[in-house]
Amino acid sequence: MGKRVSAEDQNEAATQLVNSLIAIEGVTGEVLSRTNGTQTRNIAHLQCEPSSWRKVAETMKYDHQVDHCSMITGIHWPDSPDKNWEVIYHFLRTGVTDPAITEDGSSIIPNITEPKKLSGKEVPLEIQVNIAIPETRTPSVSSVQDIWVGADWNEKETWDLVGIDFDGHSGMRRVLNPHETPPGYHPLQKQHKLRYHGFEEMYDDAQGFLRKAPDSGRVK
Amino acid sequence: MAEMWISMGPQHPMTHGLWTLKVKVDGETVVDTEPDLGYIHRGVEKICEARDFTQITTYCDRLCYASANTWSHAYIYAAEDLLEVEVPERAEYIRLIAVELQRIASHLMWLGAYGPDIGNLSIMVWCLREREMMMDLLQELGGSRMHYNFPRIGGVKRDLPYGFAQRARAKLDLFKQRIQEYESLFDESTVFLVRTQGVGYTKAEEMVNHGVTGPNVRAAGVDYDVRWAHPYSVYSELDWAPAVERSSVKGADCYDRYRVRVTEMVESANMVLEAIDRIPGGSETHHEPGDPAILAKAPSRAPEGTFGSHHFEDSRGESMFHIVGGGDGRGKNPYRVSIRSPMFITLPYASKCMIGYKVADIPAIMGSFDPCIGETDR
Amino acid sequence: MDSIIGWTLDKTHNLMPSSDIGLGPLGSINLQETFSSIQPGLHLFIFTSVMCTVVFATMMITLIVVPYIERKFIGRLMDRLGNTMSARSLWVGEGGVTAGEWWNSLPFGLGAPIGMVNRALNKNFGNDHHTDSVTRVGDRGYHGIWFLLPGFVAAVADFVKFNTKAHIVPDKADRLVFEVAPVIIISTTVMVYAFIPFGPHIWAANPELSLVFMMAIFGVAPLGVFFAGWASNNKYTLIGGMRSAAQLTAYEIPLLVTVLGIAVLSGSFNIIEIVDFQIQSSDTWNIFLMPLGAVLFIVTMIAEVERIPFDMPEAEAELVEGWWTEYGGIRWGLMFAVEMMRAYAACILFALFFLGGWELPFQDTLIGLPLVGGLFAILAKMTPGIAILLIKAYLMFALFVWVRASLHRIRTDQILEFGWRYLLPLSMLNLALAMIMRVAFWDGAWPFWLAPVVTLASFAIFVVLAIDEDKEALESSNRIYHTQTLEKAYPGRRE
Repeated sequence: MGKRVSAEDQNEAATQLVNSLIAIEGVTGEVLSRTNGTQTRNIAHLQCEPSSWRKVAETMKYDHQVDHCSMITGIHWPDSPDKNWEVIYHFLRTGVTDPAITEDGSSIIPNITEPKKLSGKEVPLEIQVNIAIPETRTPSVSSVQDIWVGADWNEKETWDLVGIDFDGHSGMRRVLNPHETPPGYHPLQKQHKLRYHGFEEMYDDAQGFLRKAPDSGRVK
Repeated sequence: MAEMWISMGPQHPMTHGLWTLKVKVDGETVVDTEPDLGYIHRGVEKICEARDFTQITTYCDRLCYASANTWSHAYIYAAEDLLEVEVPERAEYIRLIAVELQRIASHLMWLGAYGPDIGNLSIMVWCLREREMMMDLLQELGGSRMHYNFPRIGGVKRDLPYGFAQRARAKLDLFKQRIQEYESLFDESTVFLVRTQGVGYTKAEEMVNHGVTGPNVRAAGVDYDVRWAHPYSVYSELDWAPAVERSSVKGADCYDRYRVRVTEMVESANMVLEAIDRIPGGSETHHEPGDPAILAKAPSRAPEGTFGSHHFEDSRGESMFHIVGGGDGRGKNPYRVSIRSPMFITLPYASKCMIGYKVADIPAIMGSFDPCIGETDR
Repeated sequence: MDSIIGWTLDKTHNLMPSSDIGLGPLGSINLQETFSSIQPGLHLFIFTSVMCTVVFATMMITLIVVPYIERKFIGRLMDRLGNTMSARSLWVGEGGVTAGEWWNSLPFGLGAPIGMVNRALNKNFGNDHHTDSVTRVGDRGYHGIWFLLPGFVAAVADFVKFNTKAHIVPDKADRLVFEVAPVIIISTTVMVYAFIPFGPHIWAANPELSLVFMMAIFGVAPLGVFFAGWASNNKYTLIGGMRSAAQLTAYEIPLLVTVLGIAVLSGSFNIIEIVDFQIQSSDTWNIFLMPLGAVLFIVTMIAEVERIPFDMPEAEAELVEGWWTEYGGIRWGLMFAVEMMRAYAACILFALFFLGGWELPFQDTLIGLPLVGGLFAILAKMTPGIAILLIKAYLMFALFVWVRASLHRIRTDQILEFGWRYLLPLSMLNLALAMIMRVAFWDGAWPFWLAPVVTLASFAIFVVLAIDEDKEALESSNRIYHTQTLEKAYPGRRE
């Protein structure tokens, strides 16, 4: 049958990671087990203070071989009591290492992994780190661009769309919006409206023939 | 000749989509690159905050139009994670068939576009001819040729049509024979080998650190695949192995990335054939749409403060959806939908990969990473 | 032609008065004497003008077949297993007439073998009937006139369309050079046709050294290409122009050395004499005496006319159109036509130099046959030389198209390396072989064994080099430019 990483291995690895990282000040976390019918996934879910984020990132990368920064989600919570901004980092531990080279140096030996033989820090794992930022007009989190290069463009996108700045990120610029977008315009913030017309308006009178100008009927 | 900046794009036949690649060139050698994305940024993440969960499926098809099923299924898995739905096994098998057929179609489109990049025009017509077969199968499943809106939260839209298994077997067997033709035009042509070997070396660990996954990283001799590493759906029930390529010592070049996708196409075809044989209930039974065997009842509201996320193996790498529940529709709409596009991260890496090679290598390298700008710009 | 012109001019001569007419201080003038002194020059002028017009018209009319071959043949190759594989599809119906098994209506059952061939082809190579769009057979009547010239009118329509498009000069372009470049390219290419004989009696100019003249004029076009690339004020065209100039220069030299080899082998620099040499003196087509030269000629000519696999300068994947991006309207149309014309000239030259020009294959043998020889002699006399020559040229062009459909584009530096490091030594070798053959073996006729031995030896060397495989390198997959992968993806791979 096709190979897979077993849920127990993942659970164990996630627990290991979470336990090791809770030791850092300002970090809490747990292992989430989610099922959706056929498979169970175990995610290491951490909540981190902005001040201890850098330390957590370095620990993850150098001590736990978390090597792939998958996505950075930025959320704007204007109505939430405890946080105004949230940055969620999604990581994967892939367990990828460069394949070995044969003795005569002519070709490589491909890495074919046996999931049953993986243990400890080789087990592939999903990790999610939530960083909550209290109310402020200039939210910012330290950048991890130098640790994972994959975070580079993700951080640019998060700043471009949500407005969360990243300390220490070099070359911050607009990526999805046009370059000349006015500074301070970040579309995914909640004060920007989502919709200017309801559906009913569109279906009943698509071209607006029944609408009247606001100053109709006035004597001009 | 002094160094000069050339702007390739936005309208350019090479770029496979709408983006600009500014290249600093010293004679014929590339010295620096700067990619410029965002031309077709449609604001999908913002739009989704005002739509129901079932309405968002339609948008996700259009993220990468060449590989629509993989994106709508990636979203559906994340939405089911959020709404805590248990999917029946038959529906998972049908989803797997749809996703793998779409993967074949996407790779065929890539191969059909890669040939003309290198200069071979015949392969385009041949690949599109086979893609027609895949699109016929996908049309039977999903109703349309490109944007199917096929999965539903809790299952699929409809069951396998009558005779689907027979037609799929015939077409996939024919398709596997046709791969010989592509190999005769590519692998046995010294000109192709001269153009693609030794060009665009990439190493596995560096790629993963940069955020590149999928066939690009499997070309470097590493068999990392989200389908077994972070398992979902019923892949573990089928007998398959990720397509790994024994690259050269310096890393994966364009030729390896080409070979890994060809091997993946055959792998996906075998997976579909096996899934048709092993589907619970058999491939000859047909349930009506809405039948609990293929669609489970799902809640339509997500409580406040919940989130759902899912990593998915897209044709181009690892894609991910993160959905935060409880929004303006008081739960019917999500608060935030965050989409991870593999190409968004791979394109800057591919641009970096081109430095040191010639201008004429740019289409070869860029095409070998399989860019699709729809998902990049969302 | 010559006598008609001469007769007319003589008659004109007699119509003029033969007495002196006084012009006062300017002296006197005798019209008949004056005319008879300019008569030879006038005669030459009229003759040359007429022949140039005839040759130009012949070239332009027969040129229309070339894009037709390209379009139809590439369509067949690209859709190899579609409905194009059977004989049915060579003509599917024009002008309101649909084809549909037209051979069945031939009298005396002549069409039955065609039907058998068609059924066999369809059965073995025909399409899968899986998709209707592939099996559909349409009526393309709008492309032709009645049932004639299917698809030819499209070329004429294209030409007219280009005439109607705007001529746009880029803003800061070098205006003078921008305008001059197309003139250079187009005029030199058309001038090449002055020296190409379309038959034993259809030629515009035939100096002693026509080969040298023609190759010299053929080689001026790279200069125009370079001008065009530079003058457009566009980085793309600049790169395209540079690449083109480098590539064309690199391949001029092997081309010229190969052509020199032909001239040495045939003993003359005059094209008509080269063809006569093949037909009469040597009684063998040059391709059998110099197969290496033939291959070199084809390869260097494909590079000279910038077709795939050598079309990097206009590679649409990177440079859109290359050095001619900024040209619109008739300038672009004519430069595109010039591409076709150069390929056409290359094919005709190949037919002239290597394939015996206007001689039917095995013409002498067939005429020499005891009973039916007379029939073949009449056939050979009745068939105009131009028809035979053009059939050969068109078949050569089909080879060019075949190469284009199958191969990939080679990168510029690889093209240059190929030209300088591989083709140039090979062409020198070819020249040496030609000299050896001519000096050692030519005494008014070739020894009977020379052509077969040379052909077989070349073929054997080619086969040996082509099937050479390094199994160890294949195993270790330590490949740079290795020819075949061990693990194919199609079935049988997974054990």
